[in-house]
Amino acid sequence: MSKDSFEPAPRVVVFLTYLGYGILMLFGYFRDFLRKSGVETTHSAIERKNMKDFVPLYQSFESFYKRNIYMRLRDCLNRPICSVPSAEFDISERVSDDGNWHLRLTGKTRRCVNLGSYNYLGFAENKGPCADAAAEALQQYGAGVCSTRQELGNYKIHEELEETTARFLGVEDAVTFGMGFATNSMNIPALMGGKGCLILSDELNHASLVLGARLCSTVIKVFKHNDIEDVERKLREAIINGQPRRQRAWRKILIIVEGIYSMEGSIIKLPDFIRLKKKYGAYLYLDEAHSVGALGETGRGVTEYWGVDPRDVDIMMGTFTKSFGAAGGYIAGSKRLINHLRAYSHSTTYACSMSAPVAQQVISSMKIIMGEDGTNRGQLRIKQLAANSKYFRQRLVEMGFMVYGNDDSPIVPLLMYMVPKIAAFSREMYEQNVGVVVVGYPATPLTETRARFCLSAAHTREMLDKVLDDISDVGDRLQLKYSLNSPVKAVSAEECYSQVDSLEHKA
Amino acid sequence: MDRTQPKGLPTRVPVGTMGDGGTTYSGVNPNAVWLNSRGIWLSYVIAVTILHLVLLSIPFLNVAQAWTLTNVVHNIGNYIFLHMLKGTPWETNWDQGKSRLLTHWEQIDFGEQFTTTRKFLFLAPVILFILASFYTKYDPLHFIINLSTMLLVLIPKLPQLHGVRIFGINKY
Repeated sequence: MSKDSFEPAPRVVVFLTYLGYGILMLFGYFRDFLRKSGVETTHSAIERKNMKDFVPLYQSFESFYKRNIYMRLRDCLNRPICSVPSAEFDISERVSDDGNWHLRLTGKTRRCVNLGSYNYLGFAENKGPCADAAAEALQQYGAGVCSTRQELGNYKIHEELEETTARFLGVEDAVTFGMGFATNSMNIPALMGGKGCLILSDELNHASLVLGARLCSTVIKVFKHNDIEDVERKLREAIINGQPRRQRAWRKILIIVEGIYSMEGSIIKLPDFIRLKKKYGAYLYLDEAHSVGALGETGRGVTEYWGVDPRDVDIMMGTFTKSFGAAGGYIAGSKRLINHLRAYSHSTTYACSMSAPVAQQVISSMKIIMGEDGTNRGQLRIKQLAANSKYFRQRLVEMGFMVYGNDDSPIVPLLMYMVPKIAAFSREMYEQNVGVVVVGYPATPLTETRARFCLSAAHTREMLDKVLDDISDVGDRLQLKYSLNSPVKAVSAEECYSQVDSLEHKA
Repeated sequence: MDRTQPKGLPTRVPVGTMGDGGTTYSGVNPNAVWLNSRGIWLSYVIAVTILHLVLLSIPFLNVAQAWTLTNVVHNIGNYIFLHMLKGTPWETNWDQGKSRLLTHWEQIDFGEQFTTTRKFLFLAPVILFILASFYTKYDPLHFIINLSTMLLVLIPKLPQLHGVRIFGINKY
C-alpha cells in the first residue's frame, strides 16, 4: 500500500502566486473602471436606467472574480465534445472576438488524446459487446422508463442489475438509482432523518455528500482530510459530551468518507476507519465513486485494495459513471438496509428509475470485469489501468513536477499554483492535441490550482509517452517543475507493464 | 459574534469543478479562510518591504519621509481592503448574502475574535509605527501623522466595533 504524498509548495512559489492574484485584482479594478466610464463595452448584466433608485439587483462586486479572472480563461472550460470520450476524442474548436464573453464554433473539430474523462476501465465505447447488448436492451425496453421504482418502473433488468452489483461487491444486496449525485443527496436523508444524529464528514467530501448531509436535520462535524487522530478526537468528544443542549446520547453517528478523493487523488485509510467505527459504535458510509472498478486486484474497489471484508463497511455507495461507462449509482449493504432504502429513499419514491440500455451497459461491463464472459478482458483492463497509473505518475515525478495523491490512484493532479499558468497549460496542451482538465480557485484552495489527469485502461503506453513528452515540454516553457525532492526511480516502466504483457500473451 | 456558521469548519474550501463562474457548492466563504493559508504572512511582509524599498528609491525623499510614507500607504491600503470594501468578489451562495454587508475584517474566521490571523493583522500596523517612529527620530510632525493613521486602522479592528457603522457610513 503506497502512502499519499502532499509536498508543500516552495515559499517563493506561494509568494509569487499571491503576487499574481494581487496584480490580477489591480487590473480587474482598472478594467472595471474602464467599463464603468464607458471606454470598454460591458458584457455582463447591468441595471436598467429607470431602476436606478431601487435596491440593486446585481451586486457587481460579487461577480468581480467571474468578470475579471474566470471569463479570461473560460475557453479552457466547457469544451464541446463531439465523439465518444474514449482514449481519443473530438473537440469542437471555438473562437472568441471579445475576450471569451462570446464563444462561437468554427465548425472544425480536433482529435485529441483524452486525459480528462472518468473512463478508468475504458468502457466508454460505442462498439463492442457492451454497446451491442445496450442496443439490444434499447430495442427491447425502449429508451425511457416512464415511472418511478415504486410504481411501474421496476423492470426485470433493474433487479438483474442489483443482483449483479451485490455479487460484484461481495455484499448481501444493492439498490440502484438513475443518477450518481442523487444517490448521495437523496439517500443520506433517508438514513439519518431523525433528530439526535451526528454526521462526521471529511473536509474534502464531494458536493453530493455535503448536500445529502445538509438535507437531514443532523449536526455535521467536519474532520481534517484522511486524519484518523482528528476523527477519533471528534468521536470521543461527541460521545462524551452528547447532543449540544440536552447532553443526551446521540442516536447514531455516521462517518462519511470517499474511496478516492477526486481532486487530490488520495486513497482513504480504510482499515483505520473500520477499527475506529467498531471501537466507538459508529456507522461508516463509503462513497466509492472513483474507486470501484479502479482499485484492487479484481477491480472490487477500495475494500479489496486494503484486504478488508466488504461487510465491515455498513453502507457502500458507488457510481456507474466512472468505471462502467454508464450513468447512475448504487448503494450496497445488508438486506435490512437495502429494504429500508427501497421503501424510504426519495429517489425510489419520486425519481424515475434508470434507463434500460444504461442498466444493460452496467451489467455487461460488470460481467466482463468479473470474468463471467469467459475471457480475461476484464482482468486485462484492470491491469492496464494499474500499470498506466503507476507509470504516468512515476514519469511525472521523475520529471520534477509537483504531483499529489497516492501512487496507486488513477487520478493524477499536477500542481501549477499560479492562475495564469492553468490557462496557458490548457491551451498549450490543446495545441499539442491533448485535452486536459484544469481547475482553479474557488474549486481548489487559493494557491493550489492544478491540472487533473484521469488515466484510463484505454490509453496505450505509446499514447502516454507522447503525452508525457508534451507535458515535459510545456512544463519547461511554463516553469512548472517545482518539486524540490530529488527524482526517485522506484519502479521501471518494464516492471509496470510486465503484468499487462503476461496477460496479453495469455489472451 | 456571528452565529450563522457552526464551529469546526474546514480551513480549506471543499472542492467541485470550476463551472459557471467558479461557485462552490459546499458553503464556506473563502474570504474567511484565505488569510490562514500557508505563506501568507511571509507574502505580506515581503509586500510591505517591497513598498518600502520602492519609496526609498525615490530620490527626493529622505529616510524619515520614506518611512512615514510607507506607514501611511500601508495603513491606507489596510483600511481600504479590510474595512471599506464589503462583500466578496464571488457569489455568496452559502449564506444568502449576509457577507455582503460585512467588511473583509468582519468576515475573517467567520467572525470569531482573537484568532491568530487577526492578531497578526493587528500587530502589523503597530510594528510599522514603532519602526517609523524610530527612523523619523521621534519628530513631532511625523509622529502625529503616523499615530493618526495607525489609530485609523487599529480602531476598526477592535472587537467592540465588530459590525458597527459610525454615522451609518458604509452601511450598505
